Amino acid sequence: MAGVEVVSEQGFRTDGRKPNELRRIRCKQGVFSHADGSAYIEQGNTKVLATVYGPHEIRGSRSKALHDRAYVNCQFSMATFSTGERKQRPRGDRKSTEMTMHMKQTFEATILTQLYPRSQIDIFVEVLQADGGNFAACVNAATLALIDAGIPLKDYVCACTVGFVDDVTIVDINHLEETNHIAEFTVAMLPKSEQFVMLEMSSRLHLDHLSKVMDMATKACKDVHLVLDRAVRDHVSEVWQQLGNT
Amino acid sequence: MTDLLLSEAEKMFIIHGVQDNLRVDGRSCDDYRHIELETDVVSSANGSARLKLSQTDVLVGVKADLTTPPTDNPDVGTLEFFVDCSANAAPTFEGRGGEDLARDISSTLARAYSSDRCSSSMLKALCVVPSEQCWVLYIDILILECGGSLYDAVSIAVKAALSSTKVPVVKVTSSDGGKPELELSDDPYDSLRINVKHAPCNVTLSKIGHSHVVDASLEEEVCSLASLMMAVTEEGTVTMLKKSACGSLHPESIYEMLETGKNVGLNLNKQLTRQLLDEECLHTQMGTNREPKGFL
Amino acid sequence: MLTSMLTSITIYLNAMPLDRMRIPGPEDSKPPFVYETPSGVDVSNLVKTNGCRKDGRKADHIRPMFIKCGIISQAQGSVYIEFNNTKVICGVYGPREFGKREDFSMNGRLTCDFKFATFSCKQRRQHQQDAEEKELSQLLLQSLSPAVCLHKFPKAQVDIYVIILENDGSALSAAVTCGSLALADAGIEMYDMVVACSARKYFNSILLDPTAAEEIVPMKTNESVDEGEMTVAYMPSLNQVSGLILKGEMHTQVCAQIMKSCLEGCNLIYPVLQQSLITSIRKSLSNVDLQGSKEL
Repeated sequence: MAGVEVVSEQGFRTDGRKPNELRRIRCKQGVFSHADGSAYIEQGNTKVLATVYGPHEIRGSRSKALHDRAYVNCQFSMATFSTGERKQRPRGDRKSTEMTMHMKQTFEATILTQLYPRSQIDIFVEVLQADGGNFAACVNAATLALIDAGIPLKDYVCACTVGFVDDVTIVDINHLEETNHIAEFTVAMLPKSEQFVMLEMSSRLHLDHLSKVMDMATKACKDVHLVLDRAVRDHVSEVWQQLGNT
Repeated sequence: MTDLLLSEAEKMFIIHGVQDNLRVDGRSCDDYRHIELETDVVSSANGSARLKLSQTDVLVGVKADLTTPPTDNPDVGTLEFFVDCSANAAPTFEGRGGEDLARDISSTLARAYSSDRCSSSMLKALCVVPSEQCWVLYIDILILECGGSLYDAVSIAVKAALSSTKVPVVKVTSSDGGKPELELSDDPYDSLRINVKHAPCNVTLSKIGHSHVVDASLEEEVCSLASLMMAVTEEGTVTMLKKSACGSLHPESIYEMLETGKNVGLNLNKQLTRQLLDEECLHTQMGTNREPKGFL
Repeated sequence: MLTSMLTSITIYLNAMPLDRMRIPGPEDSKPPFVYETPSGVDVSNLVKTNGCRKDGRKADHIRPMFIKCGIISQAQGSVYIEFNNTKVICGVYGPREFGKREDFSMNGRLTCDFKFATFSCKQRRQHQQDAEEKELSQLLLQSLSPAVCLHKFPKAQVDIYVIILENDGSALSAAVTCGSLALADAGIEMYDMVVACSARKYFNSILLDPTAAEEIVPMKTNESVDEGEMTVAYMPSLNQVSGLILKGEMHTQVCAQIMKSCLEGCNLIYPVLQQSLITSIRKSLSNVDLQGSKEL
């Protein structure tokens, strides 16, 4: 295969990580004050902002209203300067539309929508800098924003992109690894019940490897969950203290 | 922008406060709110800045690209302004909802940067081979939150982003007779900086009651019928002047606002230049170890 | 990547009204005027030694006008204005019902559509509104809306369509004047008429109502200030400025100076507008009388 080798003989990846090592995750909830919920997440060099509005009355045409549950509205957009080559449009291209669809399906399966009939929940994500695993970062950011907005969820939704190359599974792949045409898995799951809410695969993979890769992906999502849970707890205790409690 | 409903009593409170030169948040009429500015926050762009003016939040990224120069101006580079009103700021911006506002902001910026001195000082350096190749700077503005005086915040952030922009140096090796060949410099630190000396900052003066204020908050914008936007350079000249919002102004009050705007603009430019110098020092001291604070 | 690019290109092509009967030139063809060097325009002779401009006017003279109201039979109000070679036509439709999708509003709504006819300028214009025309539409709306009693027609909107048939300078000010006259002709209730006038600062003189040649002439040198053009929209009997836009760079005192000249220009135009309205009403009244006598 042309280009750099994804995993070196010593078992290290191009950015010095081990195959099962995530990039550093840093996140913050409550970045904006106007929105009902907002969050910012950094996974390595991938940086994503998410905001949540709602539950509120249906905006626009009333025909979207569902009589037994809330309507989940998503928008995925990427800043024009987020990629190496400048993007012409922040949204509306085929890839963004696809991402929007995936987001919608993911969160419709996780939010307890039946609690809010005839209302709408907006989830807007904005990729500020893209360095691989964009969708995963978006899902994680949206989860944090939903928690910040106080919208009831079944569980955290934790997402991770996993790659498989030369008999090695590598987790949380970055842009450089993405461009090497490796088998790529994007997984979003509910870590406590170990349920998958979104699963996407590109390229081909032998069936024998599948369970191994899925195990790694599950492990990675659980790792992400630990980080997110820690951040949420820290945020809540900080807010608690600011309110004058000890 | 988000619809804000104020009762008559609230409006009167704000208007009377402005009359006594004491605003709801304790400022006087020509004070700005606290401004947080950070440059070089997006590593995928050639230059970037993030500005937070109280609740107004904008992110500007500058990307450089090579292109053929415009035929009527073959020896300068070009600036392209693009504004994206993110749905993060207001749900009404979803899809194409923010386009009108975005277009208005970008045309205002383009007008402010169209003055002759500004373009000659900034754009001459961006020419690579006259009438063959020049740099185009895509200035992409992302509106993340609207909390009043958006135009001012955007213009300050644009100036900061431009000052932090590093355009790679291109060597022209003219192969005899044929087209000139371009060669990018190998050294990543070998870069061209943009001269922002003549770049203006926008100052919006909103007429509230019989007085005018700078940097109106969302509540104050609701109380104001008309406002005057002016782009002021470091020397106190005006490169753009525009009446905005649906109201009218007495000529005498425009003359007064021009003077206030000039003084405020001079001050703003001075503060910004100082802040940018500080940032620059910080960058050189910390080198690559510096981690941008960003949104964390 | 390629497929997405291709789809975006097809979408773009579909949106553009293409004249399939015409044989298109090469994609990068340009009109020859582009190559006309600015030095080819005689800069020194804008103002002759005797203080006269090229067309024989003094600096503070406006061009002769021709105004005719009620020329589009389908429109509620319509006006045709000529300022020598600048020719503008405007039609006003409404008040008519909002589109169904909009929410109820206690205030009426005004929309403006500004368009250069494809043949109006030196370079051919496109059928679709370009960025400049969209900006000018916005400015037109901001200049006209303070004059209209919007609360008099809730739930309804008034559409103003302005087409520049020939552009020989001061297109925006002609459009504003034309638009406000057409509103009056349509019987829309207004506080006052809006009159607009442009002025170009050129060396030490302020040229009122500049022609296209006077607008184009480049600024003195690159390091110059106090050069530019201003358009002011003014409501004379209320003494209120409803629109203001500046291009170029200048000190605030000079801004004020130019604005004063523009206001003087507006005061010159105002009586002519009143006269033409009275004439058109007289005419329509006499028509009614004639019809009435016939019926009797």
